[in-house]
Formats: sequence, C-alpha cells, structure tokens
Amino acid sequence: MLNRRTFLEMMVVTGIAAQLACSDKNDSKKRKKIAIIASIWRYQSHAQHIGDRFLVGYPSQGKWHLPNMDVVSLYVDQKPEGDQSEARSKEFGFQVYPTVQEALRCGTNQIAVDAVLLIIEHGDYPRNNKGQVLYPRYELFQKVVEVFEQDGRSVPVFNDKHLSYETSKAKKMVKASKQLQFPMLAGSSLPVTWRIPSIELPLDSVIDEALMVGVGSSDASDYHALEALQCMVERRKGGESGIKSVQLIQGDAVWRAGKEGRWSKKLLEAALSRSNKLLGDTLIDARPQDLANNGQLPILVKEPAAYFIEHIDGLKSTLLMLNGAVQDYTFAARVQGMAETQSTLFQLPPRPNVAYSACLVEKIEEMIETGKAPYPVERTLIVSGILDHCLESKIRKNKKLETPELKISYQPPKESHFCRM
Amino acid sequence: MPKDLSPEIGRKTLLASAPLTLTGGNFQASQSRRRPRIAAVVSEYRRYSHAQHILDRFLWGYGWGNQHHHPAMDLVSVYVDQTPKNTLIHDRLRRFPSMKKYSTIAEALTLGGNKLAVDGVILIAEHGNYPRNKKGQTLYPRYEFFMEIAKVFQESKRTVPVFNDKHLSWKWEWAKEMYDTSKEMGFPFMAGSSVVVANRLPSIDMPMGVEIEEVLGLAVGGIDGYDIHALEAVQCMVERRRGGETGVANIHALRGPSVFEAMKSGSWDKGGWSNELFQACLCRSHTLAPSREGFNHILPKFDDIIKLINDNDNEPVAYRYEFLDGLKATILLMEGLVGDFTFAARLKGEKQVLSTQFFLPPREDCNFFNPQNNAVEQMFLTGKPTYPVERTLLTTGLTAAGVESIWQGQKKMDTPHLKINYQPTTESTFRRS
Repeated sequence: MLNRRTFLEMMVVTGIAAQLACSDKNDSKKRKKIAIIASIWRYQSHAQHIGDRFLVGYPSQGKWHLPNMDVVSLYVDQKPEGDQSEARSKEFGFQVYPTVQEALRCGTNQIAVDAVLLIIEHGDYPRNNKGQVLYPRYELFQKVVEVFEQDGRSVPVFNDKHLSYETSKAKKMVKASKQLQFPMLAGSSLPVTWRIPSIELPLDSVIDEALMVGVGSSDASDYHALEALQCMVERRKGGESGIKSVQLIQGDAVWRAGKEGRWSKKLLEAALSRSNKLLGDTLIDARPQDLANNGQLPILVKEPAAYFIEHIDGLKSTLLMLNGAVQDYTFAARVQGMAETQSTLFQLPPRPNVAYSACLVEKIEEMIETGKAPYPVERTLIVSGILDHCLESKIRKNKKLETPELKISYQPPKESHFCRM
Repeated sequence: MPKDLSPEIGRKTLLASAPLTLTGGNFQASQSRRRPRIAAVVSEYRRYSHAQHILDRFLWGYGWGNQHHHPAMDLVSVYVDQTPKNTLIHDRLRRFPSMKKYSTIAEALTLGGNKLAVDGVILIAEHGNYPRNKKGQTLYPRYEFFMEIAKVFQESKRTVPVFNDKHLSWKWEWAKEMYDTSKEMGFPFMAGSSVVVANRLPSIDMPMGVEIEEVLGLAVGGIDGYDIHALEAVQCMVERRRGGETGVANIHALRGPSVFEAMKSGSWDKGGWSNELFQACLCRSHTLAPSREGFNHILPKFDDIIKLINDNDNEPVAYRYEFLDGLKATILLMEGLVGDFTFAARLKGEKQVLSTQFFLPPREDCNFFNPQNNAVEQMFLTGKPTYPVERTLLTTGLTAAGVESIWQGQKKMDTPHLKINYQPTTESTFRRS
C-alpha cells in the first residue's frame, strides 16, 4: 500500500518532496499546512515530542491517529549535537528554512501555511537573575506576527509552555493575537494530561482553598505546576478574577507558614495521598508514608518553596515545591458543598513515550481544525505572569508583591479538555 | 513450609475429622466495638515482596479517599515461612510491637492459644525461595498454608474471612479444594491480583450485560507469574457480559516463534487474534518500546514488534481460550514491546473497540496495592467478599491449563473442569475515586 510515508520517501529519492509539500497542488489542498518554529529539535526535546506526532501520528482514544495535516516547514533557532531537523526534513519531505519569515512563506513571498507551532523549550539560552531562561518566545512570535501583518493573513498559533518570561512581553503576545484576530493556544501539557482519579472540579464551584504540590526546577517545572493549579481553580464561581498579589517564600519559612495556617496541612495530606512517587523511606524499603504528618518533610526537602497566590476574588491558592519528598504533581482543594476534599494526580506517563504530549497535540490539532482555541490563552498569560512575579518576589527577599499587571479575568471552557477517553 | 500437613491429608481428612457444623464467617468483631484483629500468613517479608506491600499498608496506612487512610483494624499476628538475609520482618516487629510473630500458622491464628483468636486472615505466598517444577511453575505453598488455616477453623469451630493473594494454587485440584473448603465451611473467601482493582486509563468498566465477541489483554512477564495478572484483568472485564460467566471450553497456549505466526495471521479465525484489538492495546500503552531510534513514540509494524521482542531475553507467550458461550479471548505476554497492562474488546454491534490500560504505578511505591488492600479491608469489615472468588478460581485454572498446554507442546486442550459459572458484582470495584 502506498501510504503517505512511503510516498514521501519516494519523493525524497526523486528530490521533489519539499517542493511538493509547500505547493498547493494535488490532493494536498485539503490538508492543512503547518510551520514549526522551534528552539531546537533533538531527541526528547519538546519540538521532537510535539512535532513528531504530526509526522508519525499518536494514540488517541485507543487508536493510532494520523493528523489530517502536514508539517511543511521548519525553523530551528539552534542546531545542537543530536539535531534531528535535517533528518526529519529529508524523511518527511519538509524544508528547514533559515528564517521564521521564510518558514512561514515556504520560500514564497506570501504566507503559505495554515498554522504555526512555536516550540521554544530546550536549547542553550542565558538565564537572568530571577532564574528565568531567556527563551526567545516573544521575539520569535513577533517575527510570526510581522509576517501576518505584512501578508494580510493570520493563522492559528500554538505556543508551547508559558508565553514570554517577562509579563509585559507575554501580554503583548496575547494582545497581538486579539488585534490580528488569530486563534492562539498556549501552555503546558499538565492541564490536558491524564488525571488519577479522573476528576474535574464542577463549574461554578465555590473553592475555599487550593493547593498544588510540584517538583523540579525553576522556571521550567514550577511553570507546569502553576498551570495545573490554574486549570483547576479557574472553574470556580465567576471564573478567573485575576491576581491581587503573589509571594514566594523559601526554606524553613515554608514549614512555619504551614504551622500558621497559610497553607493547609489537610490539603497537603490529600494531595500527597495521590502521589505514586514518594521518596525518603519509601525508596529504602517501599513502605507507604504519611509524609504530610510524619515529620519527614523538613528532613527530605532541602530547599522548599511556597508560591502564594492571592486572587482578586479572595481565593488563596498555593504551590508547594517539594523536591526531595515526591516526584510527581498533585492537587487538592476544599470545595463548598462537597463533603470530601477533592484531590488528584496529574499523571505524567514516563519516557520515552511521554504520552502526555499526545494529549496536548490533540488540542493543538483541534484548534487548527476548528479555528478555535479549546481553552483560553489567558490561562497561560496569567500563569506566565504569576511565575514572573513569584520569581521577582524571590529575588526581592521573598516580599509579597501586589500585581496590578495581573488583573486579568477570563472564563474557563465549559468542556473539560484533559485526557479521559 | 509447614511439615505437619502434607497435601494427602487435605480437605477430606480435615472435614472427615469433625462434622461440618460451621456456618458462615463469624463476625464478632464487626458486630462489637472492638477493632477487628487480623493475622497474616506469608511466604517472606522483604522489600518488594507482596507481603511487604500488603502488610506495610496495614501497619503504616496508605493514600486512599483524599487522605492517608489507616485501616480500622489491627494486624496482630504474622507467620513468616522464610526469612532471607534481607527480610524486613524483624524491622517491622520492632517498629510495630502490636504485631507478633509466631512460629506456626496455627499459633498465628490462635495468638498462641488454643482457639482461633483473629477476625480475618491474609494469605500471601508470593515470592520466596520455593522449588520450580519442570513445567515452570513455582510451587508456592498457598494450598498448604490454606489447609493449615482451615484446620484451625475446624478445630476452633469458628471461621473468619480469608484473603488469598494472587491465584489459589499452582495445581488445579488443590485450588479447587481450597474453593470447595471455603464453601463447605462457609467462610468468606476472596483472592486475586491487584490489577483488577487498579486505576484505569481511561477510567472505564465493561458495561453490564453486553455481548462481547472477542477480547485481548496485552501484558508483560512470563508464565505462572504474570499470566495470572493478565488473565485476571481480562476476566474482571468479561465476567460482566450478558449472562455472566459461563466458564472456559478450551485453551491453546503458544510460546516463542509460534506467537509471531499467530500475530501475523491477524485474526482469531486464522489462529491468532484480532489485529484491531491488538492495535488498540498498543495505543493504550504508555510504555510502547520505540521501534526506531530517535523516535520516542511510534506505532510498530509486525516486523518491528518481532525485532523488539527478540531483542530481549524473554520469549513471548499467548494464551488463546474460548468460553463456553463462544467468547474468544487472548492474553499476550510480550516483554520488549510494552511495559504495562492493556485491554481491548470488540462488543457485538459496536463499531468502536472498548479499550483501556490497567494502570500500575511505579514499583518503588507499588500503589496498585492501595485498592487491593482496601478491598480486603472491606471484606473484613462487612464479612462479604468484595468480588467473587470464582473469578480467581477460573483464572487459576486457566493459568495451570496454559502452562500445561505449553508443556504438552503448545497443544490445544479442552478444559471441561473450567465450567465455572458465576455472576459479577453489580458495582464496579476498581479504583476510580
């Protein structure tokens, strides 16, 4: 049978694959064309996880799904050792262009794609004094927008993970999408990955308090945790009201804050009851542990951090980064009218499959197909801002910071969008 | 291993020695305010042994119901058959003085007295240094332990609920005797693998009363150890079909290259299994081995699958079996291809294949024991098995029959002894909250 791959393999042999891929000829007309703008493309980078799923397909609802769209062009900002961009372009018949403009125009003088994926995660970029990696998301996004403006046509854009590290730049990105009226989807895969148990907070819940447990580095992993937290609390009554203040505290102050009731031990117990990766004594002899109450946390967690988020409507949500105690992401909330605490694990299936990225690609595809972002980019904007300000608090001696910049309100999607089918 | 109860003096001797005057499990504990007292009879207690996972959860509690749950009962006694160098039993006895170790099963159940003194018994004979027979079965002394327990019941004229971890016995006749003994003495008996109660991705159950044409379970491991897990996973789904369980008519086990031939045939009728169901299982796996270097998640073709499996040391295994009502089932153990347990079913009149993953959390925590512990606790509290032991009687028989089929040169065998009828629980019993 002549499938797309063998067809393209033949085309590569005859040297006309790239040319055909970008052209508007034949039956390729119905299939949407995608440009990928990536920082790097090597094994286990985000661009590889996401990009490959458009090339070789991915599992969806118990079937192997082949997207009805083609990657036709790629721009990679860096080509480190292990770069796969050239190999992929040869095998799958798309071209790697030296500039964003050319990638979007496929070498012509007009935009020639139907969607743009901006995947600027991983690669060698400097860090600032707040610990933020200065990924050029805003800068590359601007180049995309320039093409839209110059060519008088905009197409849907997906931005992997947070927007810019800098709130003002992140806001400009969202503003541009509104002005030029193109669908924009962004964020982490945590909001869309499998949850164990498979729960969602009911829309219009009155949430008394919410707590997230996260692990990993800043500003890569705390971002994921904050967005997981946000996708849960945004469903509360009135939707997201915006952020009044944030504060990041570290060290023993985190435990003291717990004793003072600034974060709930009961919610921590609920969150940790969902963890499947406890560390400490569990690693020694596999025993279960009540880490919230057995006194081990201060011993296990050498550098604890609490991210306090005060929402304008009064909700207080907290992220505890507990490296050394657990290795997964869990959430708990107390909801009015619900007798039991609500809690879940954001399940991140292991390497190499990292099946969570299939959940994300499903949503990207949905936006490209329908022209509508399944969930609001404001979620990612507000979380980008929360993280930026928390890290500001960190370098300002853990001071509480008012956040008038983050008076960003939005409504959550009515539908749930996490993997559950 | 207890020496005073050879298999020959099994149930018949035991039951003949005293008239059967016992009625159902006696739940004094649950009827009074006293916390139930539990005895454990285990093969060995070391890191990652089933006894460690299950008993540690009684001692320390575990994550359940949005909190760290402490069972409303006390593990008061333990019999440990083997104490290897790395045993944890001494550590646990030191940490939990309320648990006492006894040198015989009878003492553990009577707390050193002369009458049954506990309200529930946990039997865990998985792991430990036991001989293996020529067919590849490890001769875990589940039957022997069980008969010791039953003897105490008999002598005390009182019975309590018993949980048996994993399959009943490696030997069908003994497994059947365990089951019959529980029925004749009238005590609640529950058994099986933790896979059946694990979280599922997606969180679905087989709809009750549907007609199923063919099912497939894809798993890892080898015969007599992991086949039972896969068989239980399949069974807890198919028992919910129209009419309930009817039993199994025949089984045909394959190992090695013949598995590949069957796979390539692409359908049950051609001697294999539905490729559509196989693909669905691959798509539910989160640990699918990449068949191409540089790709992290790619759907393998038959030749890729053969290479992936041949690149590891374990031979693939397939058990193809037909139920008496016509349902066709296959379990596959394919090390090198996947690292998890998945299931797919074709329902009559449904276009869409029903499929899911039985989610087993990482080994370090082994939290799939949480729902199993909870199901066992429920039985101790209510006096009713949380799910029917007939399920495990059937899967025990299938495990032994599968091993036998391979031993006899991968011969298809009729299984008249597996005409086992039972009805599933109406409620789903897997973890979903």
